[in-house]
Amino acid sequence: MNVALATSEIPTGRDELWRYTPVDEIRARIERSVNASHIGPVSVTRPLIDALTGTNRPRLVFVNGFHAADLSDLADLPAGVRCGISDPLHADDTDDADDPVVADVALVAIAEGVRLDAPIHVVHVAVPDPLTEHCVLSLPRTVIEVGEAAHLVVVETYCGLDGSMLPTLSNTSTTIRLGDRARLAHYRVQTESTTATHVGHTRIEQGADSVFQMTSVTLGGDIARNAVEVHLDAAGSRTELAGISMTSGSQRHDTVVTVDHAASQCSSSQRFAGVVDDHGRGSFNGEIIVRPGTTATDAHQSSRNIVLDANAEADARPWLRILADDVRCTHGATVGRLDDEALHYLRSRGIALPQARAMLIDAFVRDITDAIPHDSVRSHVAALVGAAAAAPIPVEPHR
Amino acid sequence: MLHIANLHVSVADQTILDGLDLDVPSGEVHAIMGPNGSGKTTLSNVLSGRDGYHITGTVTFDGVDLLPLTPEDRASAGVFLAFQHPVEIPGVGNMYFLRTAVNSVRAHRGLPELGAGEFLGVAKEHMARLAMDPAFLSRSVNAGFSGGEKKRNEILQMSLLEPRLAILDETDSGLDIDALRVVAQGIERLRSPDRSMLIITHHTQLLDDVRPDRVHVLQGGRIVRSGGPELAHELEAAGYENLPSEVSV
Ligand SMILES: Nc1ncnc2c1ncn2[C@@H]1O[C@H](COP(=O)(O)OP(=O)(O)OP(=O)(O)O)[C@@H](O)[C@H]1O
Ligand SMILES: [Mg+2]
Repeated sequence: MNVALATSEIPTGRDELWRYTPVDEIRARIERSVNASHIGPVSVTRPLIDALTGTNRPRLVFVNGFHAADLSDLADLPAGVRCGISDPLHADDTDDADDPVVADVALVAIAEGVRLDAPIHVVHVAVPDPLTEHCVLSLPRTVIEVGEAAHLVVVETYCGLDGSMLPTLSNTSTTIRLGDRARLAHYRVQTESTTATHVGHTRIEQGADSVFQMTSVTLGGDIARNAVEVHLDAAGSRTELAGISMTSGSQRHDTVVTVDHAASQCSSSQRFAGVVDDHGRGSFNGEIIVRPGTTATDAHQSSRNIVLDANAEADARPWLRILADDVRCTHGATVGRLDDEALHYLRSRGIALPQARAMLIDAFVRDITDAIPHDSVRSHVAALVGAAAAAPIPVEPHR
Repeated sequence: MLHIANLHVSVADQTILDGLDLDVPSGEVHAIMGPNGSGKTTLSNVLSGRDGYHITGTVTFDGVDLLPLTPEDRASAGVFLAFQHPVEIPGVGNMYFLRTAVNSVRAHRGLPELGAGEFLGVAKEHMARLAMDPAFLSRSVNAGFSGGEKKRNEILQMSLLEPRLAILDETDSGLDIDALRVVAQGIERLRSPDRSMLIITHHTQLLDDVRPDRVHVLQGGRIVRSGGPELAHELEAAGYENLPSEVSV
């Protein structure tokens, strides 16, 4: 299969979609990085992957962008479902060994009319190099193709080694194409280590009357960017985006969403919740474009954020470019604090402050976790979010 | 059991409680009445450990200084406040909340944790006595509850947590006749020699059912009169303005 890869170029000049991202710092980190090598670290084992992502099958596992067949498990795939690696287009088009190299491209494809309810897992593990201690740069690539009227569920996981103090940098790209009347539920879970840099980009192209549902969960990384770009180029398609981002320590999370309504009778919704704690920073940058000449567009966006600590910061920026008349569009952005009265209420019943706080943080993102229709994914995400909510309360002075 | 002496409470330079003295001995039920805005809720908030107040004076519970304790430590020590306005907490399941609260307090008392199934049984038993539909367990804490339902949920928490000092801030307000009786029974059931209660109310109905040992009048930031249960009816007939301002604690 011939695949065109979306790029995740880091801009050189001013770019509104990179407004909140520390571009210079990311560039500096790239400069200091070494390319991931094919000789995968031996420390990554099947039990480790199980522990990081659950024992779910089928799964395709990649370490620093390289396919790890021994960690993958593709038994019993139904007919019409392809799951494996595809040839990269960009490899070997340069002689400069210092240029980052796209390793293996994950490919999940489902044929016309085929329906698969069980989620397929694509796992990308970012593993540092304990020998050189240099930042390891990898370029994970994923392509998901959903044939006409096919139904598919994909869970993409980006994880690292728990507690690793060595840096990694993942510049990821996922390209998703839905045929006419196709349906994809897509989850993107990022739990890389807090020394990781994650620059993620997901591009979605939807056919007529297709339905795309995505829930992203961003918990890991030191600097993490989650960019999602949806192209509604055919009439009657629907896209529903939801996401949770939670920071602590000095993490920075940027969520950047563009929904481009280029066809008529399309609807889109965006529901994002951000929790920033300690010295963390979170931003939501959500763009809605409605192209001239389109009709009957429905576009909604909401970004809710809570700031848990005086040192934390949240920004929410809706960016609407409505160039047509027949549009129903709503948007709202809030930045608030934890409800003191609710916190006191819980504590007055004997629930200790850290747990009371965790309950309220969990409640804040609950509508998004509860809305996940796939049981195994919902409980996995709920557990991750619950653990993040229960992270220790920062104490002053910091560190 | 509860000893309050010369309690001064202010918020942003506004004095709300101004030298309040109150003693509630073990096993007794006391009522506090007083005009709107006289500081009854402020007193309960201060006892529950709500922050945001400037406080001076003495508050001890069983001889222990209550003021430095966190709200959760007070709850574990046996202090319970039924809030005048219970907070709605969407996203936190009532069942999970109740079980976490009960287990937190149990842990503090050296009792084993109740598992989900075990707790459900206990909760349903208590709810049946309070004529509460078990469906309230599967909803978020107080979210969308009617005024009376919220008050019943407070009494449910009280009966599950078995406090040693229960402060009920207008738990009888907004209740229908049946609910009022259920609440009165809930209070009576908890009444015991090693438990004290402070009932804040504007009405005499509940006091007729519960028969407090003492009734106090809070006005101008302090207790201005104390008496037996008959004082409640005297107040109802005369109003606060015509109350002789003798102090008899
Ligand atoms: N946080 C606050 N900031 C400013 N004023 C406050 C605050 N809390 C209470 N007050 C004021 O203190 C006074 C006492 O309030 P409180 O709620 O304790 O009265 P109450 O006796 O419970 O009244 P009610 O019978 O209406 O419930 C009121 O005048 C109130 O406006
Ligand atoms: Mg009050």
